[in-house]
Amino acid sequence: MKKQLVSLLSVLLLSCQTLPAIDPAGKAMFACPFPFPGERSRWVHSIESRMPGDQRSSAIGVTVINPATQAISCAVMTAEGMVLFEAEDGPGGLQVKRALPPFDSGEVAKNLIADIRLIFLAPRGLLEDKGFLSNGAAACRYRDETGGWIDVIGEDQSEDVQIRRYSSSGTLKRQVRFSHKSKNFYQRVELQADEIYPYSLEMELLETRTLKKNPKH
Amino acid sequence: MLMRGAGFYKLFSAAAMLLLLCGSAAFALEDDFAKIRRESSGIRTLQADFVQKKFMKILSKPLVSEGRFYYEAPDSLRWEYVKPLKSLVIIRKNQIKRYLYSEGKMIEDRTGGAQTMKIVLQEVVGWMNGRFDQNPSFKATLIRKATPVITLVPADKNLSGFVEKIEITLAGSRGVVKSVKIFEGTDNFTQINFVRVQTNAPIDSAVFQDVP
Repeated sequence: MKKQLVSLLSVLLLSCQTLPAIDPAGKAMFACPFPFPGERSRWVHSIESRMPGDQRSSAIGVTVINPATQAISCAVMTAEGMVLFEAEDGPGGLQVKRALPPFDSGEVAKNLIADIRLIFLAPRGLLEDKGFLSNGAAACRYRDETGGWIDVIGEDQSEDVQIRRYSSSGTLKRQVRFSHKSKNFYQRVELQADEIYPYSLEMELLETRTLKKNPKH
Repeated sequence: MLMRGAGFYKLFSAAAMLLLLCGSAAFALEDDFAKIRRESSGIRTLQADFVQKKFMKILSKPLVSEGRFYYEAPDSLRWEYVKPLKSLVIIRKNQIKRYLYSEGKMIEDRTGGAQTMKIVLQEVVGWMNGRFDQNPSFKATLIRKATPVITLVPADKNLSGFVEKIEITLAGSRGVVKSVKIFEGTDNFTQINFVRVQTNAPIDSAVFQDVP
């Protein structure tokens, strides 16, 4: 009960967060944090998801991303190897190849792809602001194509990087945290989603590989 | 929707659980599935390691998982994956619990997955008694060759959309299960190879106890 309350409060606190001010501080002289892979690559993560009521489930996620084309291929499977979801998204649109419950809802599939895009691909929008947040963290703010904002934030002390996506009204919708301890940002990734049914994901890297630039398929 | 997911779990679990038939299937090829049913009554316990390889187009090399099976007649089962993703299903006296590894320990999966597995258990109990050819959801065939193959093809249209077929390959004249292949679709299948199979060796009862 206590855990549920803490979880609920966390979600409520998150949902109350609004677009924070960025202090330009003399047009800060720093390079925008960039945790994103620069090449076409495959990533295999174990994923633990948590939902309200401390409900947890686990899966294995496979993601192939191509920063040059913005294409994503992904699969989610159980430990037993059962593929729950498989899809591709790119310039030609989203193509769901396989979707079993709970991924057979169009909204879930869309959110999943959006989460993958947020985690693995650099924001496509224009850089609108750059400077420091009130806690001193360096931040670069991009205008999202849906009208919202994406902040990519570098934490000075821990060297961790965060991504925060805000809606057009400035409500925090997603928070992604990369831990830099292993010198691979994707070793451990945490995502917190603020939706009607909030959820969080904890991803641990199992393997990664850089791929050829021009895939045959 | 639930039934679609449950059915799919059944198929996956079916392939894995067919290991439990290995001893009986070994003697079945001379004749038919009735022989399997007769011989399976001799299996009191069974334990084995397994290596699972997942093949998909998105993976350039298969994703390898490892785990261990334990079975004790009439109705105790432990199905455990140890890497890369730890998970555990324990079935005992018609009670089933599923666990996932979180924050350094096994915690119970309360998302409904365990209940889905309960449906599987009912299926598996039948198979453990050698009745895997009597499920109307599948058509089972035995193919006699150097390495005999049992093939299960979904007869239920709701299932055939998710799994094309399951192949169980037996090794040698004694017919020990060599591998199980679950075909989900084009370029997508799971192969489970069983090793160090032991039948009727004692198993510590703690193996089937709930995780505290």
